[in-house]
Amino acid sequence: MSRKIILWVSVAVLCAYIVVALCAPLLTPYSPTEITGSPLQSPGDNHPLGTNDLGQDIFSQLVYGARITLLYGFCAALLSVFISTSIGIVIGYYGGFADELVSRAIDIFMPIPVFPLLIVLTAFFSPGILTISLLMGILGSIHGIRIIRSQVLSLAQTNFVEGARAIGAPDFYIMSRHILPNVMPLVMAKFVSSSQRMLVMGVGLSFIGMWDTTTVDWGTMIQKSYTSGGMALGLWWWLLPPGIAVVGISLALAMIGYSFEEKFNPRVGVNRI
Amino acid sequence: MTLVRIEGLGVRFSTRSECVQAVDTVDLDIARGDHIALIGESGCGKTVLGMAVMGLLPKNAWITGAVRYRDQDLLKAAEPDLQRIRGKEIAMIMQNSALSLNPVKKVGDQIAEPLLIHHVLAEKAAHDEIVRLLTAMGFDEPERAAGRYPHEFSGGMRERILVAVALACKPDIVIADEPTSGLDAGVKSRILALIKQQMADRTLFLITHDMGTAHYLCTQIAVMYAGEIVETGRTHDLLSLPMHPYTQGLLASLPSAGLHPIPGMSPSPTHLPGGCRFCARCPASIERCSREHPPLISTGERLVRCFLYD
Amino acid sequence: MIELDKVTKVYTKGFLHRQKTVAADNVSLRIKKGESLGLVGESGSGKTTLGRIALRLIEPTSGTVRFDGIDLTALSRSKLRQIRPRMQIIFQDPDTSLDPRMTVRECIAEPMKIWDLCSPHEREDRIGELLETVGLQPDLAGRYPFEISGGQKQRVALARVLALNPEFIVADEPTAALDLSVQAQVLNLLKTVQKKTNLTLLFISHDLQVIGQMSDTIAVMHKGIIVERGTTRDVLASPKAPYTKRLVSAAYESEVWLGKVRESLPSKK
Repeated sequence: MSRKIILWVSVAVLCAYIVVALCAPLLTPYSPTEITGSPLQSPGDNHPLGTNDLGQDIFSQLVYGARITLLYGFCAALLSVFISTSIGIVIGYYGGFADELVSRAIDIFMPIPVFPLLIVLTAFFSPGILTISLLMGILGSIHGIRIIRSQVLSLAQTNFVEGARAIGAPDFYIMSRHILPNVMPLVMAKFVSSSQRMLVMGVGLSFIGMWDTTTVDWGTMIQKSYTSGGMALGLWWWLLPPGIAVVGISLALAMIGYSFEEKFNPRVGVNRI
Repeated sequence: MTLVRIEGLGVRFSTRSECVQAVDTVDLDIARGDHIALIGESGCGKTVLGMAVMGLLPKNAWITGAVRYRDQDLLKAAEPDLQRIRGKEIAMIMQNSALSLNPVKKVGDQIAEPLLIHHVLAEKAAHDEIVRLLTAMGFDEPERAAGRYPHEFSGGMRERILVAVALACKPDIVIADEPTSGLDAGVKSRILALIKQQMADRTLFLITHDMGTAHYLCTQIAVMYAGEIVETGRTHDLLSLPMHPYTQGLLASLPSAGLHPIPGMSPSPTHLPGGCRFCARCPASIERCSREHPPLISTGERLVRCFLYD
Repeated sequence: MIELDKVTKVYTKGFLHRQKTVAADNVSLRIKKGESLGLVGESGSGKTTLGRIALRLIEPTSGTVRFDGIDLTALSRSKLRQIRPRMQIIFQDPDTSLDPRMTVRECIAEPMKIWDLCSPHEREDRIGELLETVGLQPDLAGRYPFEISGGQKQRVALARVLALNPEFIVADEPTAALDLSVQAQVLNLLKTVQKKTNLTLLFISHDLQVIGQMSDTIAVMHKGIIVERGTTRDVLASPKAPYTKRLVSAAYESEVWLGKVRESLPSKK
């Protein structure tokens, strides 16, 4: 019972975040970059969360920041899942040499921690947010390939896939019409957990200042509050909101992913009685 | 002397959307020394019946009636009492040895389990008993076998291990649920021979769909269909002169009898027809059959649930 | 019609492929057009593997497989695919042989769609026809596999295969997972269809009695080798190979009780 409540609460939270991000202009009186008040004001009438060191409204920043943060989180996850599903299905279905090759490659690359690698790459090449999202997607897909591949391997052995081959279905048809739909629950669960990872990684990267620090997202907000003395001065209204926002969505996604994985258990066969 | 008396046993499973009457008012007497077979096809409720006797049904099972064992109603007994009885006095040989044995425990430990749980023997004495049991089961090197894991054995050997586990505490009554499913013909006949030999002075309640097995192991048969018992009688009588049309149909659909099918399908347990449950498929049904639900009618030593014998 | 010539299948396991299991050892088999051959053997005898090799669903390690004169083993993947509609298979486990995410209608329509056998509106009629042929109610078409019984699933599998009008069907223990009365229904259906369309049938089973009812000729397989071959009547009445003798006597023993009983069955049988 309580698991269901957790799921619904998490979904509600996620939807709330998405709605906020989409309706940003409707919710905020000011633009996030506009200087609208005196700096370092504590929360008051005009500025529900106060202002930062430049006089920008923190609340507006928080709401607009949701857009970019969620965007790179979900886009990177989408890319990652797309890559791992496509590759996973193809090598799982065909097996053979390609499978061996890719599997060994994954074995080599998997232990490399993604986050430090991203830091190194972004430090060297200073790419924009889009490129970083792309990179996150590509690097994050490695783990997923393996998971999807093993599901595909067992699916490819099933009678109904063999049956599809027997009636003369072309390979691509089998992969898209038989294997993909049966792998979808796993793919969706992977998408949710990837989103969570990508989001947090993205915030981490932005916190370190890996991209244009004038963009307003939660990572840069936290960074600014940190470097401009917000923490030292105890300006909780600057530091906490973006932090809580990140934790909130991370938790929501984690809980959804958790209950997805439970639901994903193959239907328990009715005991033949 | 009656060992287990099943009175009016009914088992209903309710899920949020529907209600499944798996077993419907079953009466059965198992006397000491009896070898009774419960024959039926999948979905007739026979495994549920076996589980009900052992008290192993899930929580969403709605059970009515009584299962009397030594002046106790097993259905109303508390879990600690049931645990004392299970394995020690009433034991079960499950089907599908691949799933019923713990893959990470050695075979010897698994056979020892009932002995140790019920404090029948201490560890050292248990070890000797295990060796004795494994030898009786036909293992050539019982000592070595006890130290191995289930996956190191073939299906037939694993089934023998299951028999050993069931017999470890020398129970009064053994319930065997499809003990030879999935086994090859040769292996099957050897396991059946083993079971027959071991059950010689014990009480056996066999649940199966295979009439050959029932004939080989048991002296009495009860046929189950759609949750009810539709015919009972002594093995030879029932098989040579089946009275209920379903039993007749079953015998006729055996390959060696010519593969004559019974038309239609068993009724779904969620939508049981009023009247006789076999009526729609019965070649001998009369008008009354679709209206009234036949009770078990007694003819001599036999019981038949059919208006043809009224 | 079907010719297996010195077919061998060796499975290798382990590092450097050192562990070898021989599933089929130099097997040669011929099935005439319209013939129903029963391939009998215990589990591990290699009969399932052989059945699949006959359709080249599994690659033989060596040997050739000929279908209606065409050498299947020499065909390219795409040419092989073109021939597939003429030779089909029915699997043993009804629970896994249908895609759980497709309705009955979609399952049966699938081969028709892939091979463009008829126009979309003709398809619905054809599906209805096929369902009737296999003895299923037309209202089953919208159901999913988990909603129907094992026997019904096997019938759907048969309907699907029949949609292609194949000339050769391999039935791999199609009723092993089914109840007795359902088995009788499905097997009778298979027999009827075979006689009506003069299908060549390779019926694989471990149950000698079932094969006795289903096949004109028998091949007995043991540890990858065919130990005996002949008409059903001959092989069952006077088996020659020691393994066959064992199988036949075991089957006889288990039906002896029925023999005693058979005389007293009501005469309508």
